[in-house]
Amino acid sequence: MTSVAPTESDHGHAHGHGDHPPEQYYSSKVEPPILGIYLFLASEAMLFGSFFAAYFFARVAVPHEFWPPINPKTGHQFELPVFLALINTIILVTSSVTVHWAVTSLKRNYRAGLIAGLTLTSLLGLTFLLIQIREYMRIGFSPRDEAFGSTFYGLTGLHGAHVFMGLTFLSFALWRSMKGHYSPKHHVGLELPAIYWHFVDVMWIVVYVMVYVV
Amino acid sequence: MSDATAHTVEHGEHEVGHAPAPPDRRNLLQRPGWVRAVMYGAISFGLATAFVTGLRSLGDLDPIWELDVLLTAWTVVVPLGFLTGLGVFSYWIYWVTGKPTLPDDHSGHGADSWKDYFKVNTDHKVIGVQYLITVFFFFVVGGLMAMFIRAELAEPGTQLIDPNAFNGFTSVHATLMIFLFVVPVFAGLGNYVIPIMIGATDMAFPRLNALSFWMLPIGGLIILSSFLLPGGAFSAGWTNYAPLATQQPDSNLMFQMGVQWAGASSIATALNFLVTIITMRAPGMTFWRMPLLCWANFTTSLLVVLATPFIAGSQFLLMFDRVLHTNFFEVAGGGYVVGYQHIFWFYSHPAVYIMLLPGFGIISEVLSVFARKPIFGYRLMALSLVAILFLGFSVWAHHMFVAGMAPWLRIPMMITTLLIAVPTGIKVFSWLATLWEGKIHFKTPMLWAVGFISMFVIGGLSGIFLGSVPIDQHASDTYFVVAHIHYVLYGGSVFTIFAGVYYWFPKMTGRMYNETLGKAHFWLTFIAFNVTFFAQHWVGLQGMPRRVADYDPVFADWNMVSSIGSFVLGASTLIFLYNMLVSWRSGEPAPSNPWRALTIEWQISSPPSKFNFDEIPQVVGGPYEYGVPGARHVVLNGSRTVETEKPEPATVGAEH
Ligand code: HEM
Ligand SMILES: [Cu+2]
Repeated sequence: MTSVAPTESDHGHAHGHGDHPPEQYYSSKVEPPILGIYLFLASEAMLFGSFFAAYFFARVAVPHEFWPPINPKTGHQFELPVFLALINTIILVTSSVTVHWAVTSLKRNYRAGLIAGLTLTSLLGLTFLLIQIREYMRIGFSPRDEAFGSTFYGLTGLHGAHVFMGLTFLSFALWRSMKGHYSPKHHVGLELPAIYWHFVDVMWIVVYVMVYVV
Repeated sequence: MSDATAHTVEHGEHEVGHAPAPPDRRNLLQRPGWVRAVMYGAISFGLATAFVTGLRSLGDLDPIWELDVLLTAWTVVVPLGFLTGLGVFSYWIYWVTGKPTLPDDHSGHGADSWKDYFKVNTDHKVIGVQYLITVFFFFVVGGLMAMFIRAELAEPGTQLIDPNAFNGFTSVHATLMIFLFVVPVFAGLGNYVIPIMIGATDMAFPRLNALSFWMLPIGGLIILSSFLLPGGAFSAGWTNYAPLATQQPDSNLMFQMGVQWAGASSIATALNFLVTIITMRAPGMTFWRMPLLCWANFTTSLLVVLATPFIAGSQFLLMFDRVLHTNFFEVAGGGYVVGYQHIFWFYSHPAVYIMLLPGFGIISEVLSVFARKPIFGYRLMALSLVAILFLGFSVWAHHMFVAGMAPWLRIPMMITTLLIAVPTGIKVFSWLATLWEGKIHFKTPMLWAVGFISMFVIGGLSGIFLGSVPIDQHASDTYFVVAHIHYVLYGGSVFTIFAGVYYWFPKMTGRMYNETLGKAHFWLTFIAFNVTFFAQHWVGLQGMPRRVADYDPVFADWNMVSSIGSFVLGASTLIFLYNMLVSWRSGEPAPSNPWRALTIEWQISSPPSKFNFDEIPQVVGGPYEYGVPGARHVVLNGSRTVETEKPEPATVGAEH
């Protein structure tokens, strides 16, 4: 039928022997890794969705007076540290701003801003995690204490794990920035952790509102 | 970027011209490969064991050797160690730490000997074949389990295997068939053909692609390894409902962790397909010129990305309930036990479409080519896929009509369930209209395609029965459901898989399969399949429960028929395997376009060259313009002429 055997270099390209791919054509302006991370985050959001589903099921199933359950030590319902978590929320939102600053600094080729932004972001993220751990230690109930405890630790823990991952990525990005990597034109390696970090931030706001406030 | 000393590059800017990488002089233990993989796996095993037992002894937990905690740690850490040793992560580790990334010398492309299929390879064609071989392995293993199940059920009473082993076999059979065969087989076929069909040189993320593949056998082996654990294989069904699942022996964890690996694999591939289809279509390849298989993979991949995290979530929570003694689904601790089913089915109903939509795509390709006619209602075919995608998320609770869920959910779920029959019906009628007055060539792929339509309609009809609450209350958990499942999944999905494998076999191997054996395989399977499963509708409606090793003697006759049918069905698969193996080695060489198809993969050599194209093709028309004189889909290599639809030669009609 048709013959498309590997062609001789009749088109003038130097490597007509199938050793090298022809130059790939891109049908979209979006860079593949950026699209990829958005799809990945959509997937992540659904994972949070499944944990939220478990949370709402338990919340609907358990009568009001037992959500949160009674603290055997005080005889009253457990209380979540809403104020402390609010401070944590502010910390995380701030860190979203700083990471954005880092990225825009790089785009303007302002490297000091890049490094300062990433350092600040990592420190804020670390503070968030430490406050969270401190909260776990003082809160008085464990994941085993009723569905309330399970879903509370489930959601905050899932989120905490994401903060941890985000921090890991950010510190690699920071380290690379200090070594002089990234340029105003090429910085996908910086943008990916930044986008991830924004996601972690947004997810926290949802967790905060649903678990602590409502 | 011509050598290893070059500074780091950002993704997407590798240059093409450079010398091949110098040979790897590291010894076997240091070089990426199986030896290092096994070593890293063993080290990870030791570390995980030490970590868990160490922590437990520090925390004064009793016993220090707690199997469920250890199993969880092993099934996470050992595969990671193994994959690292194999070299799956090498590039990313370099990249993320900013070390000079190895130059992309494309040595990970192409396969020169069978050994290359056992290495980490980034070529979508090699990965496609790796997928196909792996999943057919699990198909055979799962099929053997089905033979045991049917042997036990041939007569009432307990003869061959005890009820516990029976439950283990049914559970592992279904789990393998769904998560290790039907779901990933489409990733395999898609991997091979989708990039070529849209005119790309590879998938968007070749390394992620390799990782997706390697996670799959890991999931399968974890699932199989449950047979080795105390108490035998997990036996709570492929649905693994709480609280039964949490009360089972620790081997149940193997379902939970195995599914996580398979699920991660499937999400990663889907993401890859989506990015590839969105960003890497050849010039001129608009969405409305894409072959329907690409549309099907696109919608399926969206389903996977959005739904699969729910099964991951359900199994995580179940795992916490077992290992950490949380109360997500424990009624005693205030958990909502039916919540498990909601979360599970929120994935697993969309999953039935994940297992079917790519098949729909294959059938559209095959029907149009072998009927020599444009597909009827191309745009509606694409849009009905999208409709199924959305509706598919709104019907999950039809699996729970009798599960004690909120009663008000029943009617809405019944309505959406029946609504989904509309886009599905559109597809079936469009296929029939495509056949109408076509010049039909009954080659093996076409037989499977036509067989698929008829069997799938039967399965769809029993689905509508089950979707009606009153009938479902009678038929739920009976063999009627088993019949339904097998008509949609075997007569449906598996038939499409066979259609696809026969259709692309010449392209993938460069050789023709044996047509006579292919037809024999089809007819034997078609008959044996109906003998096996049709009567299950009747015994089901009369009340024979599913998932039980024994049954009332009144059902004995039909069960014997079913069992005999199933053994023939098993044997028919041997014909397929024989045909594939022998034809791959010594079949007739295949021309580049044996089916005279218009889509791009048939315009290049069989098998394709390492990078598919010398030049990115230019798409100039629709993919299915059969019988339209002068119509063109694609132009390859600038001015070179390509296949256009010529008037049918008079002789072809004589072959049937
Ligand atoms: C018109 C389309 C369909 C309708 C209305 C439908 C409806 C249903 C309903 C209501 C059930 C629940 C039965 C019960 O457990 O009581 C069911 C079960 C099932 N369906 Fe379908 N179905 C359809 C198509 C499909 C397709 C296309 C597939 C797969 C390719 C599929 C796979 C399954 C499976 C695997 C089960 C059994 C799940 C289990 O193990 O409990 N169905 N179907
Ligand atoms: Cu369903």
